[in-house]
Amino acid sequence: MNFFMLVVKQLSKIYPSAKRWAYRFHGGVFPRYNKSLSASQPIRPQLIPEKLILPLQQQVGLPACPIVQVGDKVKKNQLLAKPSKDPQKALSVPIHAPTSGTIIAIEEATLAHPSGLEGVCIILQPDGANQAIENALEVDGSLPKTPVELKSVLLKSGIVGMGGAGFPTYAKLPNERGRIHTLLINGAECEPFITCDDLLMQTQAEAIIKGALLTAEALGAERIICGIETNKPAAIQAMKKAAASTSVEIKEVATVYPMGGQKQLTLELTGIETPHDSHAVDIGLLMMNVATLTAIYRAVSLGDPLTSRLVTVSGLGLEKPFNMDVMIGTPFNSLAQAAKPKVKLDYPLVMGGPMMGFQVKSNEVPVLKTTNCVLANPPEPVDMQMPCIRCGECMDVCPVNLLPQQMYWYSQAHEFDKVEKLQVFDCIECGCCSYVCPSHIPLVQYYRHAKSEIKAIHAEEKAVELAKQRHEFKLARIEREKQEREARLKAKKEAVKQAAAKTEDSSEKTPAKKAAGAAAAARAAAAKRAMQKGNKPSSGSDKAMPSARLKAIEAAKKAAQNSELEAGSTASMKSSTGDAKSKARQAAQKAAQKRAQKVKAQSEPANKDAKTNLKSESSSPTKEPSAEAISLDLTQTSEATTASKKEAARKAAMQAARAAAKKRKVSSSDHQVSSDKPSGERSDNQTHQQDENSDKRQKAMEAARKRAKQRQAEKNQAADNQENT
Amino acid sequence: MIEAILIFLALAVLFGLLLGYASIRFKVEGNPEAEQIDKILPQTQCGQCGYPGCKPYAEAVANREADINQCIPGGNEVMIKISEITGLEPKAMDEAAAEPKEKEVAFINEDLCIGCVLCIKECPVDAILGATKMMHTVIEKECTGCELCVPVCPVDCIDMIPPKVTPNDWKWPEPNFLNEDDR
Ligand code: SF4
Ligand code: SF4
Ligand code: SF4
Ligand code: SF4
Ligand code: SF4
Repeated sequence: MNFFMLVVKQLSKIYPSAKRWAYRFHGGVFPRYNKSLSASQPIRPQLIPEKLILPLQQQVGLPACPIVQVGDKVKKNQLLAKPSKDPQKALSVPIHAPTSGTIIAIEEATLAHPSGLEGVCIILQPDGANQAIENALEVDGSLPKTPVELKSVLLKSGIVGMGGAGFPTYAKLPNERGRIHTLLINGAECEPFITCDDLLMQTQAEAIIKGALLTAEALGAERIICGIETNKPAAIQAMKKAAASTSVEIKEVATVYPMGGQKQLTLELTGIETPHDSHAVDIGLLMMNVATLTAIYRAVSLGDPLTSRLVTVSGLGLEKPFNMDVMIGTPFNSLAQAAKPKVKLDYPLVMGGPMMGFQVKSNEVPVLKTTNCVLANPPEPVDMQMPCIRCGECMDVCPVNLLPQQMYWYSQAHEFDKVEKLQVFDCIECGCCSYVCPSHIPLVQYYRHAKSEIKAIHAEEKAVELAKQRHEFKLARIEREKQEREARLKAKKEAVKQAAAKTEDSSEKTPAKKAAGAAAAARAAAAKRAMQKGNKPSSGSDKAMPSARLKAIEAAKKAAQNSELEAGSTASMKSSTGDAKSKARQAAQKAAQKRAQKVKAQSEPANKDAKTNLKSESSSPTKEPSAEAISLDLTQTSEATTASKKEAARKAAMQAARAAAKKRKVSSSDHQVSSDKPSGERSDNQTHQQDENSDKRQKAMEAARKRAKQRQAEKNQAADNQENT
Repeated sequence: MIEAILIFLALAVLFGLLLGYASIRFKVEGNPEAEQIDKILPQTQCGQCGYPGCKPYAEAVANREADINQCIPGGNEVMIKISEITGLEPKAMDEAAAEPKEKEVAFINEDLCIGCVLCIKECPVDAILGATKMMHTVIEKECTGCELCVPVCPVDCIDMIPPKVTPNDWKWPEPNFLNEDDR
């Protein structure tokens, strides 16, 4: 192997691409590393800044909830913010005080994020005493036996992946022992300028190895492999020494960017290529950065939460670059000033390395748990972007084997679906393609933009689907409530009817009974029809409804029935039930008023009848909502509702009058009523002809109203259909 | 000759039966065109199209009862998509609706809210939480920005505001390339 390396080295002088034979993954570039700038300096003693800015959200997931007040005095390692509710799902991690001092504010401050957005931060003013709570995590020094035990310590300590993305470490680990067979240690650190992992391995190799051993022990992993790039001989030596009597294998890997990429190093160390849609954990591999392992070791054996980390402060614009164990929350500016900038720092600092880092929007942003480097490179003239010449360089260097040129083409044309098909989400944003592009096209920026656009499109699709489901759910709920109300009313009316029938006079028994029977039949028929009608729209949509939603509706129904008392979760449900009711009631009242007006206007010659109409109508306002609700449901828009309401009211009034007259006639002449076909052709005059027995009339009226209602519903639907056309 | 005729007759009958069976067995439920249209509508459920929601509008378009340019929030983009699905001629939008506007969500000024529950009734997606005489609030994630709740509020305490951008949904800006014409 070494001989092979030697040959490659010589050969690469005449044929540069020969360097690629020394490693397993595709592509990669060989930038100028500039690592000696900071690597040659010893680690500086910790600097206590004037204030520490601790953003509540330092990683992917949800922000933490502060549990301290402004003005509180805190000690080092004290818990300042606890993870929000369910940390297993919410990916939320706690935040601890990096030093002792006073909380002077909890306010919005610019975040160390490419967006430069503001986020809520706890501002801590150190008192300089650095008083610490020992063993803040209350560990007893015993090693965790199961992944779950380890995970609970990791969660309490607030450890996130310190190599890059900052995924909470506890969330990365599987719950079952034995899922992970190989633990990989990432000591590659391939980005130029950055040397913090190098120095960490040189100075704390013991802690790294111990952390790795205890993690592997808890997870039941059999192998531990550590990959270190060949350009860190001191680190390799220190690690080899520390690992001498353990099972940890130290492997030297070729110096190439991006060797430190998770999938690249995994391939290099194990020969396993991670499938594009799965995580390393799925195939039994787990990779951890050396800094993360140190933090794990400190948390498990000393009970120290993650409050500081090794950070490289470097760059061509600094006189004295250095590495330092920096408190989380230290502003970038104070670190850069400590490194003696060559010129005034009027240019933005970079968080991370020159390849993957980003410029911060304000130099006052704080160091995060994921910040491995603060870079001060004076701005260089930006090379003018030229058209793509299709040289294919970008394709040759892409470590993920993507087609950068194609992705660029579709990204700039905003054809994001095609970019997605080219697997832009597998792009690790390493920047190799931009680095080699002879046309100076900022390719990575195009991919980042495309990625966020695609994410937004998917989020939008999800929101649309949700809105649809919620809307359909609401319609179904209204429908159900309406039916329930109808059923209740029917039952109530039936009871009233029976009571009334019992107290009838014997002389009027026969006709009254018949009328009552007819009325009942009419009511039943009307109810049936109303049900059918009511069912129609919903049954149509029922079919289209996804079964999951049906289930949800079912569940909601049950919940509504069973747990009306469960205030918390069903509060909104209840309130809207009330709403629908009151809405229907209001509508009914309005309709009744309108009807009354109409009737008055229409039947000036027959004031008396109009009055009875009005009386009977208003005497039973509870009956109206069902019919009115139909119209409301079918014509959601307010305009349509008013129009059809007016129409319906008028029609209903007329029909009620007509039907009443007919009923009266029928009952007096002792004929059987053909319950659902009252002739609408009868002239209005007929309705105002007779005086009758008030008892009989009321019964007849009721039956008639029932029918009228049903007809009104029909009319409404017809009217709606007409409107729709 | 006669065998040929018989064979083809038999084949014709066989395929006829097959097709007939297939048309029953694999019958497509509902109106596929309406479904397709419903899929691309913005699902704001705002009713600006004159229908009580996106689905009724989709059905109306599928039945050729409505024009394809009535969805205001969808704007031109949706109109063109509908015309592609239905094969109808694209129709110009009203001038105000040609460009879909930036998404906004309702925000209730909780100091002013009197808890009249009017807005809850109006919201097509149940995105408002509250109870009688209680302060109401909008679930930002679920609000479609249909603005139906704005006019009903008796104390005018509902505003439409653009949703707050967080680092989680912040978008990387597009690099401003200088050679725009070269593509
Ligand atoms: S390296 Fe640049 S110029 Fe060459 S193909 Fe890729 S994008 Fe085009
Ligand atoms: S930035 Fe993406 S496309 Fe470009 S080389 Fe890296 S992985 Fe490939
Ligand atoms: S206008 Fe568009 S978004 Fe609004 S309800 Fe009609 S189809 Fe849906
Ligand atoms: S909260 Fe208002 S704007 Fe948002 S969906 Fe509900 S009614 Fe529409
Ligand atoms: S309509 Fe206005 S006042 Fe009434 S509950 Fe809604 S936000 Fe509050």
